[in-house]
Amino acid sequence: MFTSNRRRWRLPVAASVVFLGASALTACSGDTGSTGASEDGYEIAVLLSSSQNGYNQAVAEGVQNMADELDADINLTLLDGAFNADTQLSQMETAGVGDKYDGVVVVPFDGPALAAAFPLSNSIPVASVLNPIGPEIEEMEPQVEGVVSTVAVPAGEAAAKQAEDVVSYCADIDPCKVVLLVGQLNAPLDVTREASYREVLEAEDNIEIVTTVEGNYDPDQSATTITNVLQSTPDVNVILSNADQQTKGAQIALEDAGIDPSSVYLTGGGGTTESIQNVRDGIWQADYINFPVSMGAAAMQQLYNALTGADVESYVNADEVGEVEPYATKETLEETPDFTGEWEG
Amino acid sequence: MTSTTVRASEPRITPAKALAFLRDYAVLILLVALLIVLAIASPSFFTFANIINIINQNTPLALIAVAGTFVIISGSFDLSTAAIYAVGSVAAAWVAVESGNVVLGLLAPPVIGLALGVFNGLAVTVLRVHSFLATLASSLIFKAIAVLITGGSLIQVALPGFSELGRGRVGGVFYTVLILIVFVALMWFLLKGTVFGRHVFAVGGNPDAAQLSGVRVDRTRVMVFALSGLAAGMAAAIGVSRIASGQPQAGAGLEFDAIAAIILGGTSIYGGVGAVWRSVAGVFLIALIGNGFDILGFNPQIKDLVTGAIILAAVGLAAAGVKRR
Repeated sequence: MFTSNRRRWRLPVAASVVFLGASALTACSGDTGSTGASEDGYEIAVLLSSSQNGYNQAVAEGVQNMADELDADINLTLLDGAFNADTQLSQMETAGVGDKYDGVVVVPFDGPALAAAFPLSNSIPVASVLNPIGPEIEEMEPQVEGVVSTVAVPAGEAAAKQAEDVVSYCADIDPCKVVLLVGQLNAPLDVTREASYREVLEAEDNIEIVTTVEGNYDPDQSATTITNVLQSTPDVNVILSNADQQTKGAQIALEDAGIDPSSVYLTGGGGTTESIQNVRDGIWQADYINFPVSMGAAAMQQLYNALTGADVESYVNADEVGEVEPYATKETLEETPDFTGEWEG
Repeated sequence: MTSTTVRASEPRITPAKALAFLRDYAVLILLVALLIVLAIASPSFFTFANIINIINQNTPLALIAVAGTFVIISGSFDLSTAAIYAVGSVAAAWVAVESGNVVLGLLAPPVIGLALGVFNGLAVTVLRVHSFLATLASSLIFKAIAVLITGGSLIQVALPGFSELGRGRVGGVFYTVLILIVFVALMWFLLKGTVFGRHVFAVGGNPDAAQLSGVRVDRTRVMVFALSGLAAGMAAAIGVSRIASGQPQAGAGLEFDAIAAIILGGTSIYGGVGAVWRSVAGVFLIALIGNGFDILGFNPQIKDLVTGAIILAAVGLAAAGVKRR
């Protein structure tokens, strides 16, 4: 009796859940409006590394802004790569067959892995943002057939610029103790950045690289790991990070340890609104600014050029799309008082 | 006379007894061994500040693992704790920013966590879906809610006092450490000293027998999931307060770290056996590895290798004892 009663109402409950799920899906698909290529306009797939990420959202915003500005009946469909190389590869392969899409803007999660999808069966043009697609992660010119433009900066080059400024800061400090706070040492881009940091810093006799730790682009994890490092090296001079989220964590760790963050050379990468303010306030010494909204817009522009037969820039230097000096210090930011950063991260 | 002689010649510690001891206390043995190694390797390790830091850093994970112990002892899994953490994180930030009330913001995660935990429990008991699948599915729903609240970005909280919960101290000890101590003590008592605790063991050991004995199996299951959700919410409140911003990707991987710590501690993955102290020990064994790597400046690329090897060693020791038995 007990069991049969349960069975009697279990089915309607399950059916209700399925119905609600299906209804939600229908509502969502209605929002995207992705119903296939329109006859007069363009259907563009925007492949994000992850939709749960402020940087990617900012790129998508830039793509949308440019699509609106072009006034060419452009319909965008956002796809979430969920920070998974296989997922994004599948999405690119799917976009590359049939006639659903006319072009793709992609923020590659893993550029070398994504190259496996090329050439696309339907030969639609692809514009890449942040990272190139192909085996050479420092090569910005198209490496695979189908990629028409890459809006990025070589990761090693940008990292070297950060490290050179650390060398300048350390000029009168001996020893100058530097902690490298990098994203993920299983990611090719971050391995390249760390190698670039070391190449510049190890050439200086007065600089001592205390350790390299991973921040995983997470303030909490970065706070934890820098707190640990400060136990053995409380007199650190520089924390060189490639990401603002990590630098924020380092700042928290310094504050918790009773160290004034402005007494340490703190620098990050990304150019979030919070980091720009921190540099203006003198809490951080510098920040390598990214312009994800402008980069997304530039990628959409180049893709549109390719679709309409106009001239295409195969490489757009991402440092030059924001009209602000990308390597920001308090002094450079004073020249652009209205700039607040392009994204929250 | 003869029998007395035979008894005297029996070894007090038999191989079987030694293995049983290893099985029961493998995590503590490894924890103490690691403590000694790190204390010798680095003078910075065994300091009050570092020990307090280690506990503070791992309080969110420990809260989730302690409550998760109830779930696993009851024979279920909760794979949604990281997603509940994410929802709690963004909800706290959103409520605090919108209302301007810090207390309201920080109370939101435990309340939401409790509600989502009850949802999980009902999904498992009403729909009769295995907890592994039910919480895997619910974690997707919860993560999506977190993303929808923020639009994928983060919500910064600049209100004074918001960081006090995560970063405040009394007498040099973080509030979070005190919260953890009280929570562990309460959960320890709940599991070992109450009827509910006995029901949790009974449900995990043999749910049919428990049902026939008058234990309300479904209600017990809903309650352990509610507890797990509440703990994930509390962890989220601490985490969001610490970094003063709510993020939809916050807590990523916490669910697996918690399960690893629980199993590493010696709680049976098959249910019916376990203890709160075991999970606490499991959490801090994993934490010491990370702390040691950072303090000693070892290559972080081999951290996962070492962590995996130690987990295998602990689980292997425990399994060896079981096989011999």
